[in-house]
Amino acid sequence: MSQIKRLVLDVLKPHEPTNVEVASAIGDLQDVDGVNLSLYEVDQQTENVKITVEGPNVNYDLVQQTIENLGGVVHSVDEIIAGKKLVEEEETLHDRG
Amino acid sequence: MSFNIEEGRYVILGSIDGLLATLGIILGVSVVSASNSIVVSAGFGGAIALALTNGLGSYLAESTIEHGKLVKTEKSLLRKLNNTYVESQSKKRIVKDALTHGGASFLASLVPLAPWILGVGSAFVSVFLSLITLVALGVYSGHISKQNYIMSVAKMVGLGTLIIITVELLRIVHLV
Repeated sequence: MSQIKRLVLDVLKPHEPTNVEVASAIGDLQDVDGVNLSLYEVDQQTENVKITVEGPNVNYDLVQQTIENLGGVVHSVDEIIAGKKLVEEEETLHDRG
Repeated sequence: MSFNIEEGRYVILGSIDGLLATLGIILGVSVVSASNSIVVSAGFGGAIALALTNGLGSYLAESTIEHGKLVKTEKSLLRKLNNTYVESQSKKRIVKDALTHGGASFLASLVPLAPWILGVGSAFVSVFLSLITLVALGVYSGHISKQNYIMSVAKMVGLGTLIIITVELLRIVHLV
């Protein structure tokens, strides 16, 4: 199994803990170099956030477990980059149309 | 120790309860007996009972509210929140609110009781100390509500004075 370098997750979470606490908790995990948490939607009870995690060997199970312990739910894994280097998504003719 | 607005509510609630109810007991008992030990026993008994009922009352009320909030969040998330940070924070809030309410009530009860415990044994000193504490509570209330301090103090002292006058009137009726 090759190592995961980047994960982009669509997460639904309660207002508490705050987004700062969630980002900080994920950032504290082993082999995580950085975290980006962007707020997309605020509901009465919940918040929809996009969490991007980068590192030399991101442990998805650990990230998911951390999010769930903080009361969140991973709705979908929107992007994964694995292997020796970061490979960005290429734009195709279909995307341009 | 710092309190947030939610806990501040319980500091004010508990303090007013403890302060004025115990003052009422002291004023009432001191009519029939000038003995320090009887006033202290009655006041202390009242203080303990108030602290326990306030603490337990808050525990039960907050448990109901926090559980309701948790279920509402669970419905939105389509998952249970057992053994999560959210649940543990909710439990902490319940215990903290109960301790704040009960603790504030007990500590405030000691204010009108203090002269009797120290052997001064004067209803006037109890009333004076209680009014000073109400001024401090008014300042605290104005601070957390971001309102006019003078208005807040006036409301607090006005309430206390009203209760003291009511108890004194009952004392006069009793003596007549």
